[in-house]
Amino acid sequence: MDNLLWRSSKWASKMIAMVIVCLALCWVIVPFLWAIGNSIKTHTDVFRRGAIIPFLQFTPTLDSWKEVLGDPQTLNCLFSSTLVGVGTTALVLLIGTPAAYSLARFEFKRMKSKDITLWFLSQRVMPPVVVLSPFYILLAEIGMIDTWTGLILLYSTFNLAFCVVIMRDIFRDVSKEVEEAARMEGASLWQIFWMIALPLSLDGLIVTAFIVFAFCWNEALFASAVTSQHAATMPTLILASRSTRGVDFSSAGVNTILAIAPPVILSFFVQRYLARGLSFGAVKG
Amino acid sequence: MAIVELSKVSKKYGEVLALRDFSLTTRDGEFVVLVGPSGCGKTTTMRMIAGLETVTEGEIKIGGKNVVGMIPRERDVAMVFQNYALFPHLNVFGNLSFGLRLRKVPKERVAEKVRSVAKVLDIEHLMERKPRELSGGERQRVALGRAIVREPKVFLMDEPLSNIDAKLRVEMRAEIIKLQRRLGVTTFYVTHDQVEALSMGDRIVVMSKGLVQQVGTPKELYNAPINLYVAGFIGSPSMNFLRAQMNGDGTVSSGENVTLVLPQDRAAAVVRNGISDAWVGIRPEHLMIERNPGATRNIIKGIVEAVEPQGATTILQINIGQEKKIIAQINEQWGREAGEKLSLTVASELIQVFDPKTERAVN
Repeated sequence: MDNLLWRSSKWASKMIAMVIVCLALCWVIVPFLWAIGNSIKTHTDVFRRGAIIPFLQFTPTLDSWKEVLGDPQTLNCLFSSTLVGVGTTALVLLIGTPAAYSLARFEFKRMKSKDITLWFLSQRVMPPVVVLSPFYILLAEIGMIDTWTGLILLYSTFNLAFCVVIMRDIFRDVSKEVEEAARMEGASLWQIFWMIALPLSLDGLIVTAFIVFAFCWNEALFASAVTSQHAATMPTLILASRSTRGVDFSSAGVNTILAIAPPVILSFFVQRYLARGLSFGAVKG
Repeated sequence: MAIVELSKVSKKYGEVLALRDFSLTTRDGEFVVLVGPSGCGKTTTMRMIAGLETVTEGEIKIGGKNVVGMIPRERDVAMVFQNYALFPHLNVFGNLSFGLRLRKVPKERVAEKVRSVAKVLDIEHLMERKPRELSGGERQRVALGRAIVREPKVFLMDEPLSNIDAKLRVEMRAEIIKLQRRLGVTTFYVTHDQVEALSMGDRIVVMSKGLVQQVGTPKELYNAPINLYVAGFIGSPSMNFLRAQMNGDGTVSSGENVTLVLPQDRAAAVVRNGISDAWVGIRPEHLMIERNPGATRNIIKGIVEAVEPQGATTILQINIGQEKKIIAQINEQWGREAGEKLSLTVASELIQVFDPKTERAVN
């Protein structure tokens, strides 16, 4: 390692650091290994003691993969998750960014922008389960139980608050003078938003989109309450692995990997924005 | 090109008065410099002309049309910002063409205009670069180019040279003046630097605490400052002020080492106004070393306390007794030393007199 601080550290402290890193790695990696391991075991191997290392202690099989991927419901759930995730993200950004921009740039007469933002933030503090029943009844009333639209609307209400709070901070970091320069050049409010503020907040926008998408992708509580078949998402499928015969760990393993993979792959692409965006304006670029 | 008229313009932020009764009518194509310390209201004035700030009271006309209440787009003015405010995500071409594209100018025409402006400013080779890849001077040129390319009626420049180094600043100063003369566009230029103001403006507006102190040509401001504030603000080093007693015979004295003969018109004005003691102002560069030991007229005697060679000239701090100091800028290169006794003299017509009560010049 070339880091001077690391090089000048004592041997013992280096050891401690290494141990901590290893522990953290185990913490993160073991569940993945567990899911991968289970996905290539037979139902009996899952419960057999000492069946840990493939080829040595058990014979790996792709039966569960074939079974899960052959099931139209899995593909349907993957599609639902993708559609609901993308749809929610699009809707949230469409409504949330202009709202965030106006809160970042204007003062309202009756209520301060800061107070409105705080109110938005309070929506995130409330435990979601509180509104589970009302939302169910509401969706049932308008006939949107087990529909993609219903789920998108539902997720949008949660994520809108998040998007507004985060994007407001990001827009506040856009130089006012640059926006004024655009105004002097003859840009209207919408043109300033569209041609200046948004492109200059692209990092934050991508990170916000990613987080909103990940939330939708991972959400299980509401999805399992308001969907059953048609609009069911991946997390509900994993929950459904628990049947009358106990938990089907092999297919749960496959489903877990299927559910984890897309956000992980996506995060590789947005990684460079994540590092910058997650500091949320701590360092001005 | 347009005449800009400001009549009794005031600006309040809540209860704070940032600008009071600003009135000024420019000539067509005039270069007007607003100068003053920070917080004097000069930038506020400019932003009101731009349309970035609302007007609390008064009227602003551009080309005979009242623009109060109009958005910047309708005013047809262009502004150069202190930190350039280039669009960081657009390259130089994108920056220069931004306003034209918003106005739906045909593409070929945009390219043509941008090219010709880039040629004038010598930034043709930078077209593809982003602002962060440019040096300070280059950014400055792009910011100027963005203002020029639209051919606006009025240019507004808010301390555009304060962020670049001293040598480049002098060059850019000359370049801006040349450009403005060539384009003949009425220009407002804000600066806190009086040297910049003197060297650039056709007319200068000296401001302080939201009030206009004096409007005039550089020559007028330098030779006939209207009050103590302007006298002290314009010129570098600042004017020396001495509290002096009127002697009744047209002379004034300040302590035993200073006796000055006032020019006749000023002496008469002093008598007319019944002033017994006044502030006398002498510019450091107007003081000369008196080499004739027998001279008695307009003599200031003192001891050199500090010597600051400036290259061509030398600035001397001179103690003239009673803990009073004056600054003299003399046309000598080196050779003066601290502790040396000196006699200085000044031409009578260069002596300014100010009424201590009103702080206004006595003429």
